Amino acid sequence: MNAMVENPDAKLALVVDDSEMQCKILKNLLIEEDYRVLTCHDGARAVALYIEHLPDLVLMDINMPVMNGYEAAKRIKSLSPNSLAPLIFITSLDSDQAFVDGIEAGGDGILTRPFSPEVFKAKIKSIQRISNLYTQVKTLQQEQQQDAELAEQIMSGVIEARNFALDRIGIIKQAAALFSGDIQLTALCPGGNINVLLGDFTGHGLRSSIGAIPLSETFRVMTKKGFSLMEIIDQVNRQLYELLPVDLFCCVCCVTISSHERSAYVFNAGLPDAYIFNQEGKIKHKVESNHIPLGVMPGLLAHAQLQVFSVEEHDRVVLISDGILEARNHEGEMYGNKRFEYAAKQGFYQGDIPGKVFDAVNEFCLGRPQEDDLSLIDVPCDGWEQALTTGESAHSQAVSEMHDLYLESEPSWKWQLSLTGQRLALVNPVPMAMGQIQEIEGNGEHWNNMYSILTELYVNALDHGILRLNSELKNSAAGFAHYFMVRESRLKNLATGRIDISLSYHPLTSGGKMIISIADDGEGFDLEGFYKQQTKLKQVGEDKVMLCGRGIDLVHQLSEKLEYLDKGNKVQATYVWAK
Amino acid sequence: MSIEKIVSADNQNVSIAIEDRFDFSLHQKFRESYADCDTNGTVFTLKLDKTSYMDSSALGMILLLKDHADKISGKVVINKPNETVNKILEIAQFHRLLTIEL
Repeated sequence: MNAMVENPDAKLALVVDDSEMQCKILKNLLIEEDYRVLTCHDGARAVALYIEHLPDLVLMDINMPVMNGYEAAKRIKSLSPNSLAPLIFITSLDSDQAFVDGIEAGGDGILTRPFSPEVFKAKIKSIQRISNLYTQVKTLQQEQQQDAELAEQIMSGVIEARNFALDRIGIIKQAAALFSGDIQLTALCPGGNINVLLGDFTGHGLRSSIGAIPLSETFRVMTKKGFSLMEIIDQVNRQLYELLPVDLFCCVCCVTISSHERSAYVFNAGLPDAYIFNQEGKIKHKVESNHIPLGVMPGLLAHAQLQVFSVEEHDRVVLISDGILEARNHEGEMYGNKRFEYAAKQGFYQGDIPGKVFDAVNEFCLGRPQEDDLSLIDVPCDGWEQALTTGESAHSQAVSEMHDLYLESEPSWKWQLSLTGQRLALVNPVPMAMGQIQEIEGNGEHWNNMYSILTELYVNALDHGILRLNSELKNSAAGFAHYFMVRESRLKNLATGRIDISLSYHPLTSGGKMIISIADDGEGFDLEGFYKQQTKLKQVGEDKVMLCGRGIDLVHQLSEKLEYLDKGNKVQATYVWAK
Repeated sequence: MSIEKIVSADNQNVSIAIEDRFDFSLHQKFRESYADCDTNGTVFTLKLDKTSYMDSSALGMILLLKDHADKISGKVVINKPNETVNKILEIAQFHRLLTIEL
């Protein structure tokens, strides 16, 4: 009506009273407090003015014509459910009922006449203080919401959308807050193994997400370059330690599954037991946490190592976060391992472990608000080597070309590396070699096979040539674990020994040829005897049950030619690929 | 949910007892309970015999306490966690970081 215009930044008050006189008194008092003031004389008009001007404060009489103060207050409050819009009733009705009705109608306070100007001004100040606080909280809340949405988008849209083989790996995540502290990653190794990681950062929401991006980047890049799981974990730990504040860390369980080695390598740092189920859905292994969560200490513990398990076709590895085991029902009871194992077994028969477990947990909690993120990853142990053997058809042309040129051509480049003593335990030359190849020749799918050949041959030279491990140890499941224990301790004490690696690259018009040569200074082995035994095993069809020797089988399949030279301590593989 | 703190006469021993749930809601109080204890070599005993449950943010808070203790050449001892709480400490392998008295 008659708004003051001197200071457009001043707060705006709306005074509603059917007495002209009262309006004037209140208006003058408010002007003294630097308000701009609108006045009107009935509830209906007040609602209209409120909609038009959205004032910062409303002073409302109770008994008025057309629409009384209670009704007007109700309407005003319903118009702005998300703001405080402070409203004070001014009345001479000095009764408890008037007070109660005023608050019921949505009023934020009541002033009973008569009152002194000082009391009035004090009341206005107090209500304005609350209102400012409310606005502040609202703004903060909106900012936080925006941040959380951004984080959520980065997480699902960028990080997890790049996961590998989502059609074969079952992943379920149900976040407690909008943004989850859980992270689930899968990536294909160059050798056709698969790396899977379930991580649980401390807390929820944006705070817990700081580490997610570096973690996923490191995991993916290092997996792609062919670093071993232990090297990846070591790097992730170091990064998180440097990046995160003291009380933020990440519980992690990661697994490498190798179909052709039929093994699962597990590292559990702070998550509940990981499960390995056999083909009947029985629990074969529970893999306990044996390490402090990542990001707590600058380096991994001295004893840190992977736990190795031999797995069969149809086995499945299931990783879970503590949110599942600690989900509580209305009685405060926790879901726990027993219920989880039962649900997982049922899920196994129905071909849907994640779905079954989640239904069971949600049924158990029956709508009780979720306190922690629930996550589960279900990975099959077979079928990953298929990712390797593609693009065979164009291959034959390159092979015939190789036979034409035979060994005439000079290599267009050579790369050599010799490692000795402790360096053999500390350095993994395979990613280095792969890095060299990709640096010179660019990226390509065919390097995956190359990686497998290189890894298998190098590991053989190290394990059998230098460390003198007998691969027959790996024939039983118990020996399998023992093998890796012995390997670990011999590596630690390694002082002598030498391995030479060399790569020669020969370009062909329709592809290329790489000659990989690896020699160790070990004793070698009885070549003739080895071949005889291989043939014998093949004849009786026993090669399938052997837990050892699969690596060499793979190299045989992937390479054009495989030769053992000298006394069996030098091996040369020829790998040919088509463009 | 509460925190009770007892400081020995020589300031060398600080015992912090936590009742009921040890989770993020105690963050502020927990930090305040040790922030001003800076006597060199102070032993902080975290009494968990009445703690019914502990979440991962509580583990983070224990790490903060350990960080504080390390700075004044002190140490942290966890005293009598119940089975549930000890399981959580065990999964996180905290016995490798500090002393846990069962």
